[in-house]
Amino acid sequence: MNTFEASVEKLCSASIKDYINPYSYLEWPEKIDTEQWSTTPELISLYGTPFYDGLSTAEQQRLSFYEAINFFSLNIHGEKSLIEGLAQRLYRKGNDLVSPYIHHFLDEENKHMIYFGGFCVRYAGKVYPDRKMVFTREYEPGEDDFMFFGKVLIFEEIVDVYNKRMAKDERLAPIVRQINFLHHRDESRHLAFGRLLVKNMYERYSDVWSMDTRERISEYLKNYLQATWKEYYNPAAYKDAGLKDAFDVQEQALQMQATRKHRAEVSAGCIRFLMENGILLEQPQL
Amino acid sequence: MKTESEIRQTLREWIVRTSGKIRAEELDDDTPIIERRIISSLQLTDLILMLERLSDSPIDIEMLKPGVFRDINTIYRNFFEPARA
Ligand SMILES: [Fe+2]
Ligand SMILES: [Fe+2]
Repeated sequence: MNTFEASVEKLCSASIKDYINPYSYLEWPEKIDTEQWSTTPELISLYGTPFYDGLSTAEQQRLSFYEAINFFSLNIHGEKSLIEGLAQRLYRKGNDLVSPYIHHFLDEENKHMIYFGGFCVRYAGKVYPDRKMVFTREYEPGEDDFMFFGKVLIFEEIVDVYNKRMAKDERLAPIVRQINFLHHRDESRHLAFGRLLVKNMYERYSDVWSMDTRERISEYLKNYLQATWKEYYNPAAYKDAGLKDAFDVQEQALQMQATRKHRAEVSAGCIRFLMENGILLEQPQL
Repeated sequence: MKTESEIRQTLREWIVRTSGKIRAEELDDDTPIIERRIISSLQLTDLILMLERLSDSPIDIEMLKPGVFRDINTIYRNFFEPARA
């Protein structure tokens, strides 16, 4: 058995050990008081900008609630397309080694949507709509698969930085901490799988691909990273939190030094991995 | 609210600025912006935000028919005309 195979098997055993019933695990409070923290203040998209500093604590806490709704909503949309892509790859020829793990992956992502969706619908009565669209085009052999798992990796790595910090933050409403904790617990395996697979695939295909293809992949993933970050700055959430000129706030906040620094810090680990493995050919500007 | 020609002008300027692949004089209201890859799928996210702002109403992409972003004419018809009727 090679190391790749052994690692996948190990991840499967870990998933079996951590298997839970998503309906009996969480204790949902009747309602959430929006005058408490639902997002770690330092992780709020506007933190460190005049838009945030100008708010009272109560207003900041209200914003932290809608930021949580946005964070959970974008997880739901990411997971919906993840599940679609995983289901397509289950038992596909050439996937014998990973199919057993895909079963766990699917199971766990479905549970995550139960937590995230449960929170959004119970306490905000809604999930923010998705703004991401993909169109199909012609791909080189293996490119489509590689891009799929490359995007999943970027998405999950960023989310996990938030989950890890919020799971530990005692200022947060307990239910928010629990959801972040449960998500991180599964995601630590998905992240390990993601890095293993992305590296393995790139080694397999990069010799076959032309330099043009490799550049296209690098460019696409760079743009994907930037697009992913933009979703953390949602005018709809700002509006719900009572902020004026929500679209201007979004546009301006994205340009500010404080938020750029935050994005660079949170994505550092994921960018380092992609650069070290030659997948990203240049450092993305965030 | 902006007039029809202002909206079309805003769309045209946004597409030229965002794409970087086409000059203003090459872009007509029936130039297929998706088919010709003038706008990428990732840039569509920004286009949707811009349309929400311009039309002052949220867009649910799951409710959209295919082809609604084909060109400026189609975008105008789908996102602005109903509001005026
Ligand atoms: Fe997840
Ligand atoms: Fe995951």
